[in-house]
Amino acid sequence: MKNAGPEMQVDIGGLIIKNPVMTASGTFGYGSEYVPYLDITRLGAIIAKGVSLEPRAGNKPPRIMETPCGMLNAIGLENPGVHVFIKEKLPFLRQFSVPVIANVFGETIDDFKRVTELLSESKGVDGLEINISCPNVKKGGTIFGSDPDMALAVTREVKRLTDLPVIIKLTPNVTDICLIAETVEEGGADAVSLINTLTGMSVDIERRIPHLANVTGGLSGPAVKPIALRMVWQVAKRVKIPVIGIGGIMNASDALEFLIVGARAVQIGTANFINPSATTDIIDGIEDYLKRHNIDDINDLIGTFDEEGKAC
Amino acid sequence: MNGKIVRNEQISAGHFLLRVKLAESFKTPMPGQFVMMRDPGRIDPLLGRPFGVYGFERSQEEVTVEILYKVVGKGTLLLSKLREGDFVVVLGPYGRAFDTHPEAGKVVFICGGIGVAPITYLAEHYRSLTAARDAELICYYGASKAENLVGIKELKRICGRVITSTDDGSHGFQGLITERFSADISLYDTGSSKIYACGPRSMLKELSELMAGSSVFCQILMEERMACGVGACLGCTVLLKDGGGRGERARVCVDGPVFDIGDIHWG
Repeated sequence: MKNAGPEMQVDIGGLIIKNPVMTASGTFGYGSEYVPYLDITRLGAIIAKGVSLEPRAGNKPPRIMETPCGMLNAIGLENPGVHVFIKEKLPFLRQFSVPVIANVFGETIDDFKRVTELLSESKGVDGLEINISCPNVKKGGTIFGSDPDMALAVTREVKRLTDLPVIIKLTPNVTDICLIAETVEEGGADAVSLINTLTGMSVDIERRIPHLANVTGGLSGPAVKPIALRMVWQVAKRVKIPVIGIGGIMNASDALEFLIVGARAVQIGTANFINPSATTDIIDGIEDYLKRHNIDDINDLIGTFDEEGKAC
Repeated sequence: MNGKIVRNEQISAGHFLLRVKLAESFKTPMPGQFVMMRDPGRIDPLLGRPFGVYGFERSQEEVTVEILYKVVGKGTLLLSKLREGDFVVVLGPYGRAFDTHPEAGKVVFICGGIGVAPITYLAEHYRSLTAARDAELICYYGASKAENLVGIKELKRICGRVITSTDDGSHGFQGLITERFSADISLYDTGSSKIYACGPRSMLKELSELMAGSSVFCQILMEERMACGVGACLGCTVLLKDGGGRGERARVCVDGPVFDIGDIHWG
């Protein structure tokens, strides 16, 4: 008989995780940066910083700019490349008995395929998250995730090459995110995660120059949460595969909003920058909420949103 | 962790001295290390602000950190409005510290503007490090005008000589502190001299030109916008000289903020 707290385990397209709280790619490095500041073994999963086939130096500084209740970043997907990731970063990440999800991006469909193959062969990762918010250099720089045909093609090719659970990470910079979600579901995606950052910018009026060297950047933080929540709610109603909610989650009540509207799990991003133990604080807060509401299993909470407010 | 403000007062126009009481578990910062500070009650501004440590005391009764800061934007303006008894989140100490040399003969500090804060903490450390010997501590300190030479009294207490410059000539040499330093540079062309600097990027860049080709030890403390302070976000990177053609970058927060002056590519 269980005498511990409520059941927190969830199933993300075949990947069973002990609680629904993960780190969002690009906000948690490759794990080592945060080890001194939290009990990393408590995380549901770690999503590592995105990797590409070749190393990338990223954008020129300034790369970040704070905006009201949020921040813009234009890091430029700086990373050491998949070979260094497998050889030098994965062994460290593996030692915590926490599922490791690699985040993959590419400039061509072949890039995605090759990185998928290498990561699958490495046997070091438990799942793949595919970042389709990047431009396809062979299609005039169109964002993979903004074109249903390209999103479908990437999903199909990746799924064909791996047995690992595949999460497609969606960009919110589209007209209809539900259409893209349905399309990647059709392509065989095991789950979708959303939202990636919203493209924005900020101007230095004294010098009349952009605050970011790249001019535009991705907006994250509490400023984007209402939009992210709306998109997660809409997508969760339209697809059968699990939805992972991301966007401005700073605390347990933010995370619970996403779970209630249908997210099977959540990712914590910008909050890590402000509070290095944000993820474990959120796990504790969700558990407290479940106890307070006499809910024995988190799966009994997920998607229980009462849209019409009948309970009132 | 939460810290309690015990003092936050204006010491000259736009400059404040903040003193925060911390829990005993807070590690003693090494000179050059910084803390990230924010108001726990706010999500706007969202991010913490990095501040070089100006002073730190650990006694039987309490642990306190001192920050000397200049109001430059929204974060520091709001910080300046906090009062005694208010709480701030203080994370750290973070970053790579200055390398110190107990055997140094002449220790030269060069600071511009608010760069005086971490330099004072380093100078204080050197004073105790070299107390038993006859080491010379010399500080070159530049600011826009006399009243912006904050903390100069403290520096004079620590260093044997403090040489100043101001843009308007209201105190010391009229011109940039790097110009004033360049007039003396031959005095420090020995292995026993150690040079440390902190200030605006333009000042550090000029110093790097003055020090080009020199074998004298010279470390600088750099400042950048930061989000995490622990090396994860890659928001604060600077370009290194030996980039292998690819442009290798270093994170100011964990690979720095202290760098050997010759390692930075100024672009």
